[in-house]
Order: sequence, then structure tokens, then C-alpha cells
Amino acid sequence: MFRRHCLKLMLAGSAFALSSGFAQAQMAASIDKPVTITFYNYNLASASAGADATRDLLREFMEANPNITVKGVPVPSNEILSRVQADIVAGQQPDVAQLVFRDLIYIANDLGANALEVMVPPFELAKQFEGMIPQGIDLGKVDNKTYGLAYTFSTPILYYNADLFRKAGLDPDKPPRTWSEVKAYGEAINKATGKHGFFPGAYGPVDGTFVYQAIAMSNGGNVRDGNKLTFADAEGLEAVQMLRSMVDSGAHARIDVGSHQDTMASGNLGMFLYTSAVQSSLLKSAKGKFDLRVAAMPGFGEKPTRPTNSGSALFVFSKDPAKRRAAYELLKFLTSKQAYTVITTKIGYLPLRLDIVDDPKYLAGWVAENPMIRPNLEQLSRLTPNVAFPGPNYRQVEKMMMDGVREAVFGKGDAAAVLKAAQQDAQRLMPR
Amino acid sequence: MSETRAVKLPTGGIRALPALPRLNLAPWLYLAPALITIVVWTYLPLIEAFQLSFYQWNMLPTSPKRFVGLANYAHLLTLPEMHAALANTAIYILGLFPMSVIIPLAVAIFTQDLKGPMRNVYRTLIFVPMIIAPVVAAIVWRWLLNEDHGLVNVALDTLGLHRIGFLQDPNFALATLIWITGWKLIGFSTLLFSAANASINPSYVEAARMDGASRCQIIRDIRLPLLSPTILLLSMMTVLFGAQWSFTYINVLTGGGPLKSTTNIFYLLWDYGFGSLSVGWSSAAGMIAFAGFTMIAFFCLRLMKRCSVYDN
Amino acid sequence: MTTSMNRVLSSGAAVEPEVSRKARPRIRPGALTIHATMILLAFIAIFPVYWMVVSSLKAENEIFSTGLWPSAPSLDNYGFVLSQIPMLRMLANTTVVAGVTAALHVLTGLFAAYALVRWRFRFSGFVYGLIALSWLVPFQVTMIPNYVLASRLGLLDTLAGLIVPHAAAAFAVLMLYHAMKSFPTEIIEAARMDGAKHWRILWEIITPNLRASLASLGILAFISAWNEYFWPLLLSRSIENSVVQIGLQMFMTQEGNLWGPLMAASTLASLPILAIYLLLQRQVIESFMKSGLR
Repeated sequence: MFRRHCLKLMLAGSAFALSSGFAQAQMAASIDKPVTITFYNYNLASASAGADATRDLLREFMEANPNITVKGVPVPSNEILSRVQADIVAGQQPDVAQLVFRDLIYIANDLGANALEVMVPPFELAKQFEGMIPQGIDLGKVDNKTYGLAYTFSTPILYYNADLFRKAGLDPDKPPRTWSEVKAYGEAINKATGKHGFFPGAYGPVDGTFVYQAIAMSNGGNVRDGNKLTFADAEGLEAVQMLRSMVDSGAHARIDVGSHQDTMASGNLGMFLYTSAVQSSLLKSAKGKFDLRVAAMPGFGEKPTRPTNSGSALFVFSKDPAKRRAAYELLKFLTSKQAYTVITTKIGYLPLRLDIVDDPKYLAGWVAENPMIRPNLEQLSRLTPNVAFPGPNYRQVEKMMMDGVREAVFGKGDAAAVLKAAQQDAQRLMPR
Repeated sequence: MSETRAVKLPTGGIRALPALPRLNLAPWLYLAPALITIVVWTYLPLIEAFQLSFYQWNMLPTSPKRFVGLANYAHLLTLPEMHAALANTAIYILGLFPMSVIIPLAVAIFTQDLKGPMRNVYRTLIFVPMIIAPVVAAIVWRWLLNEDHGLVNVALDTLGLHRIGFLQDPNFALATLIWITGWKLIGFSTLLFSAANASINPSYVEAARMDGASRCQIIRDIRLPLLSPTILLLSMMTVLFGAQWSFTYINVLTGGGPLKSTTNIFYLLWDYGFGSLSVGWSSAAGMIAFAGFTMIAFFCLRLMKRCSVYDN
Repeated sequence: MTTSMNRVLSSGAAVEPEVSRKARPRIRPGALTIHATMILLAFIAIFPVYWMVVSSLKAENEIFSTGLWPSAPSLDNYGFVLSQIPMLRMLANTTVVAGVTAALHVLTGLFAAYALVRWRFRFSGFVYGLIALSWLVPFQVTMIPNYVLASRLGLLDTLAGLIVPHAAAAFAVLMLYHAMKSFPTEIIEAARMDGAKHWRILWEIITPNLRASLASLGILAFISAWNEYFWPLLLSRSIENSVVQIGLQMFMTQEGNLWGPLMAASTLASLPILAIYLLLQRQVIESFMKSGLR
């Protein structure tokens, strides 16, 4: 019985896919009748400032657009993609979803997200993109079409415990700028204080790949070139070997990869490379305990860093023209100047519109009070899109890569051999 | 009381049954609620999974469902991860025995002789972990075991011992997860053993004692044999469900790491299904697990039949 | 069994003082070891629970200190939890879900067990096997298809959706089956001779005698339904219709875990069931002792 349902759905789906070439172009010009859309959101699934801010934004949006009702569907971030997928399978078409970048290609090709260039008339889209940083818009592109509109995102920054710096005889006003300095500082902290030197939030089950990719890319590496995996090639390998050498020398900690943030928050870690999104949480834990500071992510010698992004983009899945219009209006609102002011100040992500940073109407006052966001803003100009993997087995590929990296960094074997083997194994799961 | 009334309502309908004595619908009517629930919510999806295990598909209506025959199985069985998962599954099961069978058995036997209120106090306290939600248990243990700010390691440090990276050291992580699983279980097993032990006819023990049997002899020759059905039951439960009981902790605490040292077959099939959206692989892994444990169950049952001499 | 019990009961009074006088001096050092071991085990069992409660009283910047008692205990975290999520509503939902699930477990188990014990019919062995085997099906495999089914049946975002798939369990059927098997057939036969119908036999003769088994089964079912995590996580779509386990996970956020509130929420989530247990512990343990669950 179940199978028959599936088949029916499949047929309906493929019939739709055939006609979608035409249907895709349809978006109502305006909304005259009340319409309800669903918004799958992971900020709403947490009891945090992010949820409050999101609720406020949605309320504001609905007040401005009385014909549109947005039903928030809260789903934790590591479940949200499978939930969107399960709902499509179950015939509950989602309208708008906040999804992470690692799934970008899958969302565009398999989940059937609408490309903005196809859905939205060009003049409208041009108006929307005006003032947004181009590197930000590029984040949501697949084959030159924008499927995801970058929403909440951030880059890796280096948090450091200035008290531990002082104890180790280091100058807290001169945070490390290169990896060789991180190594030296890490060793010094480890030796002088017995605490951990350095740790990147790159290996844990919820960390994704962005910190690792940022490190590898800063050395000129990349995880793939088209359908060919390249994470074990010279530059990427060198980056991993650098991490391994830090582990071997004691500069890089071996701690529970799932609770690195707690280790930093409890004052037991000297330097921590992770998303700027956790800044306010870390600040609260550090308050009255230790002097927490931030710096830009370190680079390889004089090579400029290439920070990649964590965070999410907004995708539209609606098929109905009116719902598409409603969804697009929501997208426009959530990436507007006032929305980014809220997102930056309340949730702790970066504004995609840099012109609001120094505008007293929006962020200027807040930035003056919160100078810690500066390193992150400064990195935005070098923002490099996080690379997602293609094909039906992309999550497996990504997992094999990260397993390989973990093994190369923390394992006993030769880093090069381990990473090469992982690349070879994973290559078999890539589309040809 | 109110329950009784609520269920008594359909009495008339069922009383009418004897009017059709030959048809004997009665057992099926009594079976229906349980059977329908189990068939609809367990067997239909299982059959579905069995079919899907021969396809490469992500269940999306828009993507092609490609028949791949036994490729999913063949692929899984050659994956090094699968070997690690199967080996770990066995380690989980074996590792749980001390906490699900041996310690509870000893506790039950030795507390039997305790007089006064303390016996109940101990049994009450030891049952508490059973009612704590697994997710909460996982989070609190992660905290207690943290290498830097965890109390267990602070205690080790104070005792002049080395700190241990319980969850990040591949040599300890699996044992740590077994410990947490066992911590939740120990009270339950103790209770079952205590119940069984309390129901041993005291005259046997007295008779043996009169004959001058020592404590050890009484335990060996009387208590253990009489407890053997419970021992076998709990052993079988451990074998069949031990690895499944660890699932939440793997999911919350390690995600199968560090270096795949804590993954097991149930985590693997979850990871394929939810983490990497490979329904074919996940279904195939599920079928392997189901078939494997079914065979083990039959083997255990035969073994139990052969061994249960004392069953009256 | 009953006769041997009587024999013991009548002779026990005479024998015991003598035995205990003899045995006591030998047992004493052993008893000390036993007490020490038990105290250690009890400590291990409850310390994490104690830690959960203590941590919920700590301020955010003290949370990682290893002090056994907070320097300034406060209920702020509880206030935060109650202001951030509808905790009381969630507790009420969870009580309904766990209560109804436990009742259904017991009822469907009772009926099915009665059918299997009472009648020999075609396929009865097969049905027994089918039910028993369902215990071995990994829930990870059935979740997604069940989600699709629940969505078709309109069960998404309802409490019924959390209950219906768990209305029956192999464990319940098997446990009650074995409990009923050991129930003396003579009594049932006698009742049948008197003209009692099946319904009455089950309800008025068997059920009262299985009270301990039913109670312990109900308790286990209640606990496991209360602590169920993965299915509600998949099924709930609005905070108002979700259960406490989902409430807990809301404090593990993308922007870092809120430890204090998380521990406060965990305490609130465990408190009702812990309180019920401590209140009824004598009966709970007694029912397990008598349940024949062995």
C-alpha cells in the first residue's frame, strides 16, 4: 500500500518535473487574497535570542503584509534538511526553508528549490541584490543561478583567552596572525599553564566543514575540482599536516570534539577557531572569569586568508504562484536593511549589506559598542564560498572526507597516506 | 477504577459472540488492537525498507528510483566502516554484561541478607537512573567526564592519577558509552534479580544450611541454578538489545567517533538514513541488523530451551 | 508451591532465631563490605542526578566550576526556562502522551496475551512469533516510512501522532503472556463451568491477579514514553504540541548550549516522574518483586 502511494507520488512528481520548465517562471505579481506559507527555520527551534528575533521579524513582516500568514516550523539545524525532504516525500510541500550551505547542490538539484533568476523578474531581482555584497550572493549559487539567498551567516574567527596569554608570557594585544605563530603560542600556553593551546571547531558532529575548508583554502587548497576530489592534493594536505604537526607538538589540543566550545568557555583553552555566531554565548560564560578576545583567522605565512562561511540561506520551494510571491516578499524582508540590523545585533550573524554598518540609522551605534565584530566584518571582503558536494551520495563523501581529516590529524598513521586513501574511497561515490 | 469503566463499555458486543461459536472470531478480536498496531507501524515499514534496500533512491518524488539489485548489500559489506560497526556491536554487547547481569546479580544475592530499611533504600536509589531521560543522562555524563572541567577528572587529578579523555580518546570512548548505557540499566536488572531471588523458596536454603552448606555453596548450588531463568532472560535481552540501548548515547555524544571507535550497526543505519539520506544503504543495513539479530534470537531461544532444566 | 510456602511459614518461626544467632557473627564483616559496596553503587547512581540539579542553580559564568554547591544558588535558570518555552504546557502534553501510551500498552497487551493463552487456533503460533519478532525491528528503519504514514493520516503535530504508533508493544504482550501462562488453569476452568464469559474471566478473574505485572508493565511503559525522544523530534511542528524532551533540546542551540537553562529544563522534565517514583517507590518495587517478570 505504502509503495503504491509512493509510486503515485512519483508519477505526480515526474509529471510536475516535465511541466516545471513553464511553471517555474510563474510568480504572481502581487497578492490580493490571503495566503499562508510555511517557513522551516532552525533559529525558532532553540530557546534563544535567535528565536525571539526571528519571531519579532515574522510579526513585523505579517503586519506589513496583512494578506500573508507565515507559519514557522521549528526544526533543529541538524534535522532540518531531512525534515524538509521528509515533508516533500509526504506531500507537505514546504514554502520557505532556512537551510545550510553544505546541502546547496542537493537542494537545488534534488529537492527542487526555485532559482531566483527563473522565479523573479530580472528588474525586481536586480533591485533586491543592490547593496548586497557580491561575495554573499555568490554563496547561494549553483551553475550561476541563485537558489539560496544568504541569510544568517558568519566566518571563522579566532577567540583567545587573554589571561592564558599573559600567564604564558605572550602579549594579548598581539594575537597570532599566522599558523606558525599559532603553533608557537599554543606550545607556550600548553607548557606554561598546562591548559590547552589551540583547537579549531572543525571535527565535531555538528561542526560541518566550514572551519576545515577555511583552513585548507587559505593555503590555496580546495576540497574538489568539479567532480574530482582534491582535498588530499598538495595544498590541502599541507594544511592538514600543519594541524597534525601542532597535535604532535602539543600546541593543538586533543579534546572532546563535541564539547570544544565548553572547553573554551570554561577557560581551559587558549585559542579557539570557530564561528562568530557563538560569540555572545562565550562572552556570557567568560564574564567575570577571564578576558575573552577575538582576532581574525590566522593565515599561512603572507598568503591572504580565505575565510568560508557557516550559516544558512533561504530557499523557496513553493509551486503555487501566489505562494511564490508571498515567499519572495518574505525573502526580501528578511534580507532588508532593518532585518539585517536585527540579525546582527540580536542573533550575532553578519550583515550582508555592508552599507548599514556605518549608518547611524542601522548598525553604527551598535558596532561602536561591540568592536569585537570588526575582525569578522573585515574578513568579509575575502569571503570564499563553502564548497558543497554534488551527487546523490554527497553527504557520504563529505563524511568520508571529514573522517579522513580526523584520522590524519589525530590518528597514528601517516597523514598523507590516510588522506589520500580517504580521497580515493570517497571518489567512488562522486558522480562521474 | 475509571479504567475499568471505560473499557467495560463494549461488553455487550463481545458477549454477543457465543452466538457464533464455530467461527471463533473471539481470539482475533482480542488480538486485533495489538496486532493491527504492530503490523501497520512495524511490519509495513519493514517491508517497505526491504524493497528499498534494492534501490538507490532518496525517496523524493522527483528523483529516479534506480533498481540496483544487491549492490547496496555488497557495498555495505565491503565498507570498512561496516566492519568497525559490526565489531563494535559485539563489543557493546559483551561490555554490557558486567553491568546488566553480573553486578546486579551479585547485588541482588548479597543484599538479600541485609536486614532493616537500608535494603529498600539501596534498591530505590539504584533504580533512579532508569527514569532519567537518556538524552539528559548523556548530557550530564558528558559534563562529568570532560577532561578539563569534569568532576570525574578533577577527582582523578586529586588522587594523583592521570586525567582521561573519556570521550575523545579512541581507547576509552567505547568503554565510556558502555558505562553510561550500563549506568541506566543496572537498577532495572538489580530489581529483576532481587525479585527472582526473593521468590526462591527459603526452605531450600534453610535445608542446605542445616546440612552445613557454606554461603558459597548455597549460592553456587541453590541460588544460581534457581536464578538461571532470570540470568538467561537478562543475558538474552543484553545480547539482543544492548547495542540498541547505546544508540542514543552514540547519537548525542560521539556521532560514532573518535576515529569511528564508537559506531555500531544501529548508529550506522541511522547515519545513512538521516545523516546522508541514503535510504537504500540505510534499509540494507537495517535488514542486515534485523536478520542478524533474528538469527541470534532463535539461537538463544534454542539454547535456553536446552538449558532451562530448572524451569517449573 | 503454595504447600511448600505453608510449610516454610509454619516452620520458619521456629527455625529463624536459631539460624540468625549462629549466622550473624560470620556475616558481620561481610555485611560491612556489602553496605560499603551498596553505598558506592547508590552514590554512582544518583550523583549525576544531583549534579543536574545543582548545575541548574548556578549562574552562567559559574556553570563550569567544579564546586559541589553553587556560590550563589539562584532560580534564575528556571525563570528563564519558563519564560522561553511553554514548559508547563509541555509537561501536561507529556503526561497525557505517557499516560495514554502506558494504558494502551497494558490494555492491548492484556487482550492479545489473553487471546494467545486462552485459545489454540490456527496461526496462533505464527501470530505469537510475529508479535515477538517485531521487537527486533530497529526503529531507525521504520521512522521515515512511519512519518510519511502519520502525515497521510493527519497525525503530524498532534499528540495522537505520538501515541498511536506506540499503542502496542511486543514487550507488553510477551510479558503478560508469560504472566498469564503461569496463572492456574483450574480457576479459569472453574469460572467457565460457572458460565462466566471470556470478558468476565479476563476482567474479573485474571486481571486482579495480574495486578503486579500490569503495574510494573505500566510503569515501564510510562517511563519509556515519557523519555521518548526521536519520534517526537521528527513529528512535532509547533512548540505548543510538543513534549518536554523537545523542550530540552531547544536549549542546545546553534549559538552554543545554554547549560544552566538546559539543566533546569532537564530537572523540570525529570522532576514529576522522579517525584511519582519516590512517592510510590515501595509499591513500584513491590510490584516488580511480585510481577513474575523474571
